[in-house]
Amino acid sequence: MASTPEEFRFGNFVGSLIWLILIVLIIISLVGLPIIFVILFYVPLPPVNGEILTPYLFLSMMVDPTRTLPIIKFLIHTHLFKLVVFPGFTFAALLAAATIFIERKFLAKMQLRVGPLYVGKVEGILQLAADGLKLISKEIIIPSGSDKPIFWASPVAFVAAAAAVTALIPVAPGWVVANISVGLLAVFAILGFFPLIALLFSWASNSKYPFIGGLRALHQMIAFEIPFFLSALSVVILAGSLNLTDIAKAQHPFWFIFFLPISAFVFFISSLAELERVPFDLPEAESEIVAGWLTETSGMIYGLLQLGTYVKLYALAALFVVLFLGGWAGPQIFPQELIPGYTGEKIYNPVTVNAIFWFTVKTFGVIMLFLLPRGINPRIRIDILLHTGWYKLIVLSFINMFVALALIYGGVLGPGGLLTR
Amino acid sequence: MAAETAAQFTPVIYMLGFGVLAGVPALIISRLIAPRRRYNPVKFLPMECGQMPTGEGRSHFMMQYYSYILMFVVFDVMSIFLFAWASSLLLIPRTATLSIMAFLGIMFAAMGYALYLSGRKGIW
Repeated sequence: MASTPEEFRFGNFVGSLIWLILIVLIIISLVGLPIIFVILFYVPLPPVNGEILTPYLFLSMMVDPTRTLPIIKFLIHTHLFKLVVFPGFTFAALLAAATIFIERKFLAKMQLRVGPLYVGKVEGILQLAADGLKLISKEIIIPSGSDKPIFWASPVAFVAAAAAVTALIPVAPGWVVANISVGLLAVFAILGFFPLIALLFSWASNSKYPFIGGLRALHQMIAFEIPFFLSALSVVILAGSLNLTDIAKAQHPFWFIFFLPISAFVFFISSLAELERVPFDLPEAESEIVAGWLTETSGMIYGLLQLGTYVKLYALAALFVVLFLGGWAGPQIFPQELIPGYTGEKIYNPVTVNAIFWFTVKTFGVIMLFLLPRGINPRIRIDILLHTGWYKLIVLSFINMFVALALIYGGVLGPGGLLTR
Repeated sequence: MAAETAAQFTPVIYMLGFGVLAGVPALIISRLIAPRRRYNPVKFLPMECGQMPTGEGRSHFMMQYYSYILMFVVFDVMSIFLFAWASSLLLIPRTATLSIMAFLGIMFAAMGYALYLSGRKGIW
């Protein structure tokens, strides 16, 4: 029996891990802690409850839980929190990560497999963490003759553009990063970046299969961009606004999917095409052109592109919910008071929590609908794709535009209408 | 007014910047801890299913659906024009709808003719 080579011994592995932890601790104590202190003492801290928050007050408030609540309440209403944590990046990235895991298990169940099973003992729950570690520790291979700046920049641009889409999605009343009066058009504008990034990346990688995949991504955008816009047009007619918060509020008694089912269908199909998912995954058709425009990706570049793709999936599912499924509307199921009889400072708002709950539930439902075709549909041919987009979906989306006009002018919806609240 | 409209978009720009801030360290950390073995030049050749790549990576490629691309340029702008009308539908008089219907009729005729031509063989 061959003995294990020296560098593969388990003890060496543990030793290297301990060294790594030690180095990280030293870096934190030499660099991180001074930076924290410099920030605490030199950056003017915001006023909380009328008094300026000094570092000493901050530290003393951290100890007393009842005095910590105002700080937390202040912090979760800052722009930075909205941007980084809740309706912004972390929320979207967490939902995207959950989507990746659920997709693998869901497809496995549909195809009578088991899916991820071993990592984390319980149904492979830590598979994602393992995959992340694997991706970050893999070598990034850049093909020779590639355009290196574009090759490195495109994955970052992909993630950044996906994050910018999520900034426009309202999650609950008032909980949106950028409340823009033309939010819907801004979403369309940012979504137009993705095929361009795919094409840039495929051009930069100096290889044949990515190039074909990038051109296919462009064709797909050309086939499905116009039905995508026009299916949202009927929603704008009924809501009378381009602001996504206003659109979600306008469907208070009745969701728009009851009036505009064909638009919702067209929007769903074109979202599938925008997301490059089965049956429209021509840009990365793995049985025809290796992996399409992702052929030359490796390591963390692939990881970033995957993260961007799933953040985009969340963004489009959330857009479907906002446009057709009433946004955050739902019956109040959370109690008015979390702790009965408590009269101090509160950060629990039953209306907001309820809105977030219903929004997340609906978004997950739509995400599951997006995942479903991957288990049951074959890929369609590119000429059928263009034919479907131009001849069928555009006409279908115009049908519901006329339905919306009839509803407005017939006095059913709109100001003073029959069904208006 | 213009400054206000531009100020509305600053959170989107911040979000874009935060996306960059989240993406760049991932690449840098990966570059730091991942192995880099460059003794084998074949490894860096473009992927062609195990064969040595032949020809140029970026070659001329037949865009067979050129007619759709030409149509896209026109009708994409049309669909965005319709949003300006739809968002102000409740504010403008009802007779304005008639002119937009005429616009739609012209566009439908043009689109139908373009699709008819793109379906014919031998003109592209």
